[in-house]
Amino acid sequence: MNVKQQLKEGLLTQNPVTVQLLGMCSTMAITTSLFNGIGMGLSVLVILTLANIFISVLRNVIPNKIRIACFIVVIATFVTMVDLFLKAYLEDLSASLGVFIPLIVVNCIILGRAESFAYKNGVAASALDGIFQGLGYTWVLVVMCVIREFLGAGKFGGGLLGEGGKGIVIFPEEFGIAGLSRPVGGFLVLACVIAAVQYFLNKPKKAEKKEEVAQ
Amino acid sequence: MSENAAKTEKKKEAGMAQMVITLGAICAVCALLLGLVNKVTEPVIAENEMKKKMVAMQEVLAADDYAPATYAGDDATILNVYEAVGKGHVVEVNCAAGSFSGTLSIMVGVNSDGTVSGVSIVTTAETSGLGSKASDPAFKDQYVGKGGTLAVDKDGGEIVAISGATITSRAVTAGVNSALAAVGQLG
Repeated sequence: MNVKQQLKEGLLTQNPVTVQLLGMCSTMAITTSLFNGIGMGLSVLVILTLANIFISVLRNVIPNKIRIACFIVVIATFVTMVDLFLKAYLEDLSASLGVFIPLIVVNCIILGRAESFAYKNGVAASALDGIFQGLGYTWVLVVMCVIREFLGAGKFGGGLLGEGGKGIVIFPEEFGIAGLSRPVGGFLVLACVIAAVQYFLNKPKKAEKKEEVAQ
Repeated sequence: MSENAAKTEKKKEAGMAQMVITLGAICAVCALLLGLVNKVTEPVIAENEMKKKMVAMQEVLAADDYAPATYAGDDATILNVYEAVGKGHVVEVNCAAGSFSGTLSIMVGVNSDGTVSGVSIVTTAETSGLGSKASDPAFKDQYVGKGGTLAVDKDGGEIVAISGATITSRAVTAGVNSALAAVGQLG
């Protein structure tokens, strides 16, 4: 178990969104306000961690042939639990995330981590994997929310900060690029974020290669 | 290590009975957990929804007390009718059929004299920045004080449609008409 390595993988080198390219649908759909981004990110983090722990505990009991069915049942259970809790105690968040909470069931990040990590590793490592991958997902969401909110609506922190949770107005909404708040903006911003992360991840490798050539 | 791997491989090669039992057991545990969580959250969720409805009802037609009324007509878009005691009626209408994105329900307050006292959008998934403007007072306050059969300006009526969202405007107007008709039937 290598905590540092796992943290680095979750946040950067194996980031679920920018490197593994999983869970893109929700990433593009809900990143319209900071409140949504943080809420969705944390919901996925909790579900991913719980599902990872549960599946890791049962990894020696679950027969290979029916593992996907078992994963889906476990994941659906935790998603429904989180959905019910949000509806009961965080109604605003539940209303603004809408159908995307139930859709976490088929979010590839969670099934992907169950299959590629939790089914093969110990409980503690799987729990950490859930937390780190969840954090990796959350930071990408937050970055996208901040960009889309700022350029699209001239605000920061919608749903959380400012008067009545409407966000801090940086410039009037009329001057924003309205397209960025719409679905098409999700595609554009996600592409830019992925490109930027890939650029920085590949940079050191290129430098190494150049050194090799020079030697 | 390889010996260990072979061992786990063998362990996971299960027969039919074991598969059925494992999946069944997992399902049973999950169902039990969900039942428990549902038991805890169900009353809270119901209370939240009631609160939300009360706020919307107060907004469209303030009254001290609301009593559910039975609607006998055959308009399937009428979801609920409440009697705002002494003031008139509040009707919840599903306008999804005419809406742009398929989710739109409104609350319409109707005074005892058959005019609209207020309109509130309860659930909406209309395009943000266009159809979502139906919740703006500038649009929905146009209905206040009007009665009979309403129509948007494009169809020769007096409701000024939201620019870029004529479909949403029409859907809301149709909903208000259904509400007025439903209350008319109640007498």
